[in-house]
Amino acid sequence: MRILILGLDGAGKTTILYRLQVGEVVTTIPTIGFNVEQVTYKNLKFQVWDLGGQTSIRPYWRCYFSNTDAIIYVVDSADKDRIGISKDELFYMLKEEELQGAILVVLANKQDMEGCLSVAEVHQALGLDQLKNRTFQIFKTSAVKGEGLDSAMDWLSNALQNKK
Amino acid sequence: MYTLLSGFYKYMVQKNEYCVLILGLDNAGKTTYLEAAKTKFTKNYKGMNPNKITTTVGLNIGKIDVSGIRLNFWDLGGQEELQSLWDKYYAESHAVIYIVDSNDRERIDESKETFDKMIASENLIGVPLLVLANKQDIVDCMGVREVKPIFKKNAHMIGRRDCMVMPVSALNGDGVDEGILWLVDSIKRNSHIRPPRNHDEM
Repeated sequence: MRILILGLDGAGKTTILYRLQVGEVVTTIPTIGFNVEQVTYKNLKFQVWDLGGQTSIRPYWRCYFSNTDAIIYVVDSADKDRIGISKDELFYMLKEEELQGAILVVLANKQDMEGCLSVAEVHQALGLDQLKNRTFQIFKTSAVKGEGLDSAMDWLSNALQNKK
Repeated sequence: MYTLLSGFYKYMVQKNEYCVLILGLDNAGKTTYLEAAKTKFTKNYKGMNPNKITTTVGLNIGKIDVSGIRLNFWDLGGQEELQSLWDKYYAESHAVIYIVDSNDRERIDESKETFDKMIASENLIGVPLLVLANKQDIVDCMGVREVKPIFKKNAHMIGRRDCMVMPVSALNGDGVDEGILWLVDSIKRNSHIRPPRNHDEM
């Protein structure tokens, strides 16, 4: 199964990918291009693509959309200034025909930071109420502490199995 | 010519679509109910294992075709923090299914208060309401006789819209058919007030 990890630069996508794969926090540098890893979670194998999130390379996300089963969209919950941009990118992406059947998981990441947005606030800021034809779920996560990722992956693997 | 034919084909097979919100407190059984409804009305659909259903923070969708119409379900998270998001869906809904945990006597008043807050919304005026006393599979739970008076207390707030309280067990599927069929009738009867959603707008 093919999963894309997307989101703005600095949201924590690469940290999440390697948390999932090796279970540790790795030191990352901004991704230019992509990282791809095979992740096994409870006997399910996923091919996980982590694409660079900087403005200049976001247009290339769409090159990876075909055959995508799920999108993990990572949001920096502490970056209130850019959550609007994150929303625009999300909606721009979800309009793509190739992603119509993809399941969406939103990770409200960096919940370890003080003063970050709550789940309901992230929901509102991303305008998720406008998504009326797609199953999605939001999880609070802290990639550096490793919190919330298990429940997100549990939900995602169930949803993917159910979809088949 | 193609457009003409495909247009005609669409006209022939297109079903009127209606949107149904599934609401209620957290842990009432909304997602389990949605899975039960999908299982009952979809051929070859194998529902999600109820043990694997977790707290919803987001949206689950589902569609079923019944009695010549299509119902689109929106199952939302029920936690208090998430209730503030419910009203975003009211204006587009053609009916609301409100799920009550009949085994949770401690929170029945909270459930009723949340229900009152919901029906007070202007955007739900005239929208049929189906209240389901869920978890009837549990021996000691409140029966529909006990739940019904609680939810019918504020008859003036319910007003002229259709409102029905029924027993259900989302876990074993008892009562799911009856509820959906009642809802379909009400939605159809109500369609002059809330006409079906146009397919092309989606």
